[in-house]
Amino acid sequence: MLVVDIVLTGLIIGGIYSLIALGLTLQYGVARIMNLSYGEFLVAAALIAFSLYTGMALSPLIGILIVVPTAFALNWLVFELLLTPLVRRARHRDMLEVDSILATFGMLFVIQGVALIIFGGQYFSYSYLSIPVSVLGSALAVNRLVALAFATVIGIAIYLALTRTRTGTAIRAVAVDPVSAQLVAIDVRRASAFAYALGGALVAAAGVLVSMFLTFHASMGVEFTMKALIVVIMGGVGNMLGALVAGFLLGIGETAVARLLDPGLTLAATYALFLAVLLIRPTGLFGRSTH
Amino acid sequence: MNRQRVLAGGAGTLLVVLALVPLVVNTYYLALGISLLYFAVLASAWAQFSGATRYISLATVAFFGVGAYTVGVLGESLPWPLVLAVAAVIGVTLALVVGLSTLRLSGIYFVIFSFGLSELIRQLVTWYEVNIHKSVGRYIFIEISQAQIYWQLLALAALVLLTGWLIGRSRLGLALRVIGEDEVVARHAGIDTTKAKLTMFAISSLFMTLTGAVLAPRWTYIDPTIAFNPMLSFEVVIMALFGGAGALFGPILGVIPFVLLFELLSANFPNYFSILLGLVFMVIVYALPHGVIGLVQARLPKTPPRPVPPRPVEVRAAGARLEISGLRKSFGGLVAVDNVTFDVAPGQIAGLIGPNGSGKTTVLNLISGALPADAGAVLCDGQAITGLGAHRIARLGIARTFQLVRVLEGLTVVENVAVGLTFRRDPLPGAEVEVVARGLLTRVGLADKADQTAAQFTYIDQKRLELARALALDPRVLLLDEWLAGLNRAELEQGIALIRSLREAGLTIILVEHVMDAIRSLCDRCIVMNAGMKIADGTPAAVLADREVLRAYLGEADA
Repeated sequence: MLVVDIVLTGLIIGGIYSLIALGLTLQYGVARIMNLSYGEFLVAAALIAFSLYTGMALSPLIGILIVVPTAFALNWLVFELLLTPLVRRARHRDMLEVDSILATFGMLFVIQGVALIIFGGQYFSYSYLSIPVSVLGSALAVNRLVALAFATVIGIAIYLALTRTRTGTAIRAVAVDPVSAQLVAIDVRRASAFAYALGGALVAAAGVLVSMFLTFHASMGVEFTMKALIVVIMGGVGNMLGALVAGFLLGIGETAVARLLDPGLTLAATYALFLAVLLIRPTGLFGRSTH
Repeated sequence: MNRQRVLAGGAGTLLVVLALVPLVVNTYYLALGISLLYFAVLASAWAQFSGATRYISLATVAFFGVGAYTVGVLGESLPWPLVLAVAAVIGVTLALVVGLSTLRLSGIYFVIFSFGLSELIRQLVTWYEVNIHKSVGRYIFIEISQAQIYWQLLALAALVLLTGWLIGRSRLGLALRVIGEDEVVARHAGIDTTKAKLTMFAISSLFMTLTGAVLAPRWTYIDPTIAFNPMLSFEVVIMALFGGAGALFGPILGVIPFVLLFELLSANFPNYFSILLGLVFMVIVYALPHGVIGLVQARLPKTPPRPVPPRPVEVRAAGARLEISGLRKSFGGLVAVDNVTFDVAPGQIAGLIGPNGSGKTTVLNLISGALPADAGAVLCDGQAITGLGAHRIARLGIARTFQLVRVLEGLTVVENVAVGLTFRRDPLPGAEVEVVARGLLTRVGLADKADQTAAQFTYIDQKRLELARALALDPRVLLLDEWLAGLNRAELEQGIALIRSLREAGLTIILVEHVMDAIRSLCDRCIVMNAGMKIADGTPAAVLADREVLRAYLGEADA
């Protein structure tokens, strides 16, 4: 059952992509920071989950409880210390975008360099819950299903938090219009810092989940950053539902290319798909055209 | 002239001295010289496109790698000059295809696209090599010495700087700067933005491709990870920004310290290379947003501008007849302009009024080509202009100002006006531009402020400057979008007098306005819009007494 195989594997990868994209949407859509070092935080979380599991026999599902709050705090600090000066300096949004691209690009090298020194350049993987089960006739490892379940729960929780709580509403207001948000007594800087940190926490969670079933190495962060960007832009910047659909599309498309054509072409297919979407609908699949 | 001759002589001497370097230094310094030169070419080429237009491109390595690979594939079967020519053709073709499809993306989309493009090309080349060529790498055996590589790069460096210098003094250079400042203004000032960006992107890519080709024989072995190393794109960006991407020699000021730094870091701290590089990068972003050249320029004594006596320019215009029929535009479900039809006679001032959100500015955007209409036609003296690009409409003599004032703050006041004079239908010869620009500034009351920067201007002065820029297009029709809004009593009277004098000069004017005094005293007739539709058309007195107009403005109860 090749089709079922492709769809199931694609859904699992796609679920992770959606989660990563959700975090980037928060950082870019709300805090207006285009974070090129985003994927490095994912890889760092994966590496830490690996060390916790192999060094202290700590299950990644417990590791996630340590990694996520740490990532939240760390990203808050990064925003307050490194990015706030850029936000203050920027005269308009475009300027902040360029500045943040350049600054986080430097950060990318620093994080990657540190990771390389500590962990070296080799590939990592560990075996946790890799028990095959049969789903609709195709064999899947339990760890993948657990990862998908976690991603789903986290995604729904974030969605509810953003749509049903005061803080969530404030964050969405800042995403729509940071200037007007101030007029209704929203502390834009705090909301931005919170959204940025939350985005960092989400990508760290994704890193732990990914580490359970993917082989990874210290310098593959850029790949995840690109994929997150592709999903966000394809789904339409700031559109959570769009990011979800685009994430699954990308996951299934990638798996289909790997299985049906050639595994060596998956990345090429991803970029080709992305470039095509950008050219046909520059505001994304579900993005609204602006006036 | 004298100063230029001295500069040219100096540059020539420097070139000869640099050309002699390989004859006297050892291989280590020759290798260093090659690194300096190839980064100098790449960073300068990058800055000529990205520095001016502010489209940050991360595709440098895509073109560089394509050049290197062309040599890898064809190097042994064709004579060297032909190999370079083929590489150049491939590079420029790629740039045109990519540019045509992507340069309408702006900001972040372009950055990500350019990065994705390099990765896509790298993936495709890798796949081709593995599956079709059956080997990841290729050996390059071409009889070219290091000194010959050095000389070729030196020639490229000289060429790229010469090109940059010539472009800086040309219409293209001005067009690119205006695009970098404000692309919307550029289009409405008659600049064919697509053509300008595409031309510069192709020139810049040509140099990058050639650099890759010239440098390829330096490696005896290449594979996609070497030729398409994304690091290169970023290094070029850092160097150019560090030096200063806005000035001709800026990027080179960044190349020299960085190449030496790379050399130092990779020789002494190979394991910490990327950390140190990242830290240096961040320091630059925080501490030197305008690059080294920004520091240098800020310290240089400013040369006072030559005093040019202001001569007011006669604005004489043959106002055109504007016919608008069945105009329609919707945004998603919202119909912003619904079947609007009206004519404006030559030399007439027509007021376009209505409550906020009634579609007045959208009508102006449809006439000026800022937005494409869904249906309907706009005729200017009988010529259909619907569907034309904004720059072509501007060149036909339909000029506009913006509701939210858009002056080009990075340009001088005179340059702001010069833009219109340079890109209109019958552009002024270079020598006359400044005189006429100053004349137009005098006409709108800015004679004594012509040498300030527009960033310091008050609101009324910014509006005046916008008007002067519009008049520079030698318009037949002038579209003023709330040009009088936000002015105080005295300024308002001056503004009204100015607009009246333009009508007397013969211009056809459409005035979107809320200031009723201005409408009463200026407009020959008024078109009233509400919810996208025209609800009244007549003399100001008549339409302002119309029951439906009152209802639109004041609501049901008050009417």
